[in-house]
Amino acid sequence: MIFAAGGYAYPNAKVRALRSRRLTAQDRHFLLEARDFSSFLAYLVTTPYGRVLPDLEEEKTDPGMLERRLARSLMEDYAKVTRSLRGQREQELVLALFSRFESENLKVLLRAMFSGRGKQAVSHLLYPLGKLSALPWDDLWAYNNPAKIADLLIRNPFGQALKHAIPQFNVQGRLFPLEMALDLSCFQRLKQAISGLRSRSDRKAAKRILGPYVDILNISWVIRLKIHYGLSHEEIVNYSLPGGELLTLSHLHRLALAEDISSFLEQMPRSLQKEVGEVRDWEDFHTYLETWFLRLIARLFMGPPFHVGIEIAFLLEKEMELTSLITLLEAKAQGLSPRRTVKKLPRQFSGVAHV
Amino acid sequence: MFRPVKLTRLTIQAPEDQISAVMAILGDLRLLHLIRVEETHLGHLGYVAHIDTSLLEHYDSLLARANRLLRDLGPTGPSAGIKKVPQPDKAVFRLEEELAHIETEALGPLERKKKAKNAISEHEGLIARLQLLEPAKIDLDRLHDLRYVTWRAGLIPEENLNKLEQSLVGTYHTLIPVGRKEQRVVLLAMSLKEDEEALLRALKSAFWDPLELPPGIHGTIGKALDRLSAELEHLKTELAGLDTEGAELTQKYGARLKRLCEEILLARQLLKAQAEFGQIDHTYLLAGWIPVALFEELKKRILKATSGKVLVDQVDPKDIKEVRSGILKIPILFNNPMLIRPFERLTTLYGTPSYEELEPTVFLAVSFLLLFGMMFGDVGHGAILCALGYYVFRKMYRYIDYGIILMECGVSSMIFGLLYGSVFGLEDLIPALWMHPMEEINRFMVMSAFLGIGVISLGLVLNLINVIRQHRYGELLSTSGLAGALLYWLGVGLVARYLLSEGLSPFELIFAKVAAGALIILMILQRPVRTVLAQRRTGKKWRHLPPGLGGTILESFIEILDDLLRYLANTVSFVRVAAFALTHAGLFIAVFSLADMVQNVHGQGIFYWITIILGNIVIIALEGIVVSVQTLRLEYYEFFSKFFRGGGKPFQPLIEEEELPGHVTRS
Repeated sequence: MIFAAGGYAYPNAKVRALRSRRLTAQDRHFLLEARDFSSFLAYLVTTPYGRVLPDLEEEKTDPGMLERRLARSLMEDYAKVTRSLRGQREQELVLALFSRFESENLKVLLRAMFSGRGKQAVSHLLYPLGKLSALPWDDLWAYNNPAKIADLLIRNPFGQALKHAIPQFNVQGRLFPLEMALDLSCFQRLKQAISGLRSRSDRKAAKRILGPYVDILNISWVIRLKIHYGLSHEEIVNYSLPGGELLTLSHLHRLALAEDISSFLEQMPRSLQKEVGEVRDWEDFHTYLETWFLRLIARLFMGPPFHVGIEIAFLLEKEMELTSLITLLEAKAQGLSPRRTVKKLPRQFSGVAHV
Repeated sequence: MFRPVKLTRLTIQAPEDQISAVMAILGDLRLLHLIRVEETHLGHLGYVAHIDTSLLEHYDSLLARANRLLRDLGPTGPSAGIKKVPQPDKAVFRLEEELAHIETEALGPLERKKKAKNAISEHEGLIARLQLLEPAKIDLDRLHDLRYVTWRAGLIPEENLNKLEQSLVGTYHTLIPVGRKEQRVVLLAMSLKEDEEALLRALKSAFWDPLELPPGIHGTIGKALDRLSAELEHLKTELAGLDTEGAELTQKYGARLKRLCEEILLARQLLKAQAEFGQIDHTYLLAGWIPVALFEELKKRILKATSGKVLVDQVDPKDIKEVRSGILKIPILFNNPMLIRPFERLTTLYGTPSYEELEPTVFLAVSFLLLFGMMFGDVGHGAILCALGYYVFRKMYRYIDYGIILMECGVSSMIFGLLYGSVFGLEDLIPALWMHPMEEINRFMVMSAFLGIGVISLGLVLNLINVIRQHRYGELLSTSGLAGALLYWLGVGLVARYLLSEGLSPFELIFAKVAAGALIILMILQRPVRTVLAQRRTGKKWRHLPPGLGGTILESFIEILDDLLRYLANTVSFVRVAAFALTHAGLFIAVFSLADMVQNVHGQGIFYWITIILGNIVIIALEGIVVSVQTLRLEYYEFFSKFFRGGGKPFQPLIEEEELPGHVTRS
């Protein structure tokens, strides 16, 4: 315990300092109630996110471009948290979590390659990863073939995953297998990083926070792949992410087979059923689950602090705040009313919004 | 050697039907620096020649075909050599015919060889796939005969096996892991035929890499492997036969094919060069620079080849107004012996000499080797540098110049090593023919300073020659001219006299004061006087003194102070030669001390020698670089800055040697 306190004193202080820069209840209220897109941006500039926004008077305010600009704040926090951690294995855990953004950029790269567009044309879709990403981006952009990219990244989990997915890419002639392989490799790496942690309390804390996170993603993916993509249950199970805590493969299989919302709810583990019991629309599942997850994070911050879970929880909490902010930004850009927007946001973001 | 090759300006007017013949002769002669038509009045008026694009495209296709044959036949020997530079419009027919002849004989066997290679590669792939399934000891015929069951063989990532199993719950199936390869499981997956689609969906989403087995494979995998291995052997034998046939073709046509390629390339270059000519109606006009010595030969050959239908003239550069006014620059064609030629690279790194200037490469080469040798004098190290240089010279064609420089530096080091009596830092192996630098530090420093005086004086003399050749007489009285040089030599003389006799006579003192005073006054006044004279010439009149005269005098005064200080600094700068020679010896002392310490600790001779060898490697690498940089610095900053102005234009021959794959011989 004393050693853990020594090891995590600085990272925790760093995280608490960074956490103090979250949007306040007042910020969330005014952002949600903003009259229109320009008022929303005018207020956003006054929040901690204002720092990463471009000069709105000079540049064109394209929502797509702003989304990635806002992400810079999260990327910077990843770098700060990684630097604050002393152990290599703890850093690897954060880097594994960070690799999801690298994976997103790799997907953009592959899509650009597939559609014959250059980096310039898609640069607004790229996460500003900064120096934390050690991938050879310049070389990657210079290639024009997924097999070569896989070879270049062969020492990285992405390379191995791409290599294994290339036969299916060749058979199917579309990027979907490669994109899925990239996503799965991130979570495989995350799972390995958790098992690689030295301290038992670290492993337990990391599982406690990342397990439910993977569960939420798996439920969302089941819904997305089933409802939006119309994939079969066999495919849905195979595309599920490893490392979940509450949902087993058997749960996922049953969820993939469920025909309507009520049977879907029935197939969920009991602990989750009460959280999403009120859901009547497929679209609402994610919001309810996020609300539940944010409660888990809040609970974690109230418990014993000396473990790596604190850092991971902070980064995921920040990511969710960013996701909510982007949802809000898109809603404002489309001119949706606050009432309609609230339904798409977790309760922590919208429910306590008052001055 | 001290001057670039003397050039004359050549102008040729040729009718359209003769231009190809003229080009062939110019290409053969090589030493022509074309003046681009865009840079001339004719070009400005739009009279630019057009390339025959269809002919160029024909050459491009010939080149592609020839390159394909070259790649497939892979000849290694030298080219047959071009006897005569091709005349592009005529040569294309001959080249086409020759190439077609080679293709008729070579393409058939090459195609068969390619097919055999593909078959071998397919067989090897199939064998590798079957070997993965071998542990299952499957009879493929029995699998093919299954009526209600479908099966697939392939690989999936290890971590996906559980998910695949779970995804098929509810479907009758079996998954048989057969082996492992690179973090993947070799799997035989089976299901009822009616569930085939579900099985395929599950496999696809588990990143299935199918092991395709062609329908012709029968029996047990072991037997199939035996049969395929036998077929593979047969194919290899066939390929060996085709290889022999290919080798014979290479032997027969290799050199000829290379020569064909060279001819095609040369003809293309000549065609492309036409874009730099002028053209008025059906007459081509071209101008360029050519060595004076080659003009008559060129003229004779062109007139003979065109039956006198072409006008060939030369103009002396002195008679060209644009050259006199400096608008048109005469290119520089270096003219140095082989051992000096590599140093041209170092000269051009500083700047390209102008046509009227002295060509400084020979001075650079001699002083570079002298300074390098003095600073890096060691017989052993010199020999290593020499060997390294020889290796670069023999093995790295692109850096051949640096190889020669390295060898020469090595020889210089060895000579100074003999003078210093140093072999790998050991100073008791051979006697010093001159001195051990560490034992006579003061003398060595004085020697270095005098060497500096010599180098600077040489720079000043070269500058005087340049001033006279370029008629810049006004500069004779400046600090960089004769007045400055005399003042510098006066100072040097006084110091030398003082050091030799430990004092100066009153006469010498008075002479020095008067002479220095007069020279300084001359240097101060020369610029204002020149300004006044220039204004007089332009007809300007003033009441008292010309405006700005005071400022000019002050500027001159400051300039003289600055230049005199620079002379002093430049001379002292050469003391570094001694300093680096001493560093060289000092580093050896450090290495030997370290070796002694290591020996004392370990008590083994081997460690002593390892330290000595590593120390020597470090000294050669580290000091070699430092000494080269310092020598170059002395050359550029202390020597070249005294006389070398640069700003010239390098001579660019019509056909660059490096652009051709082999050597093209002149007829």
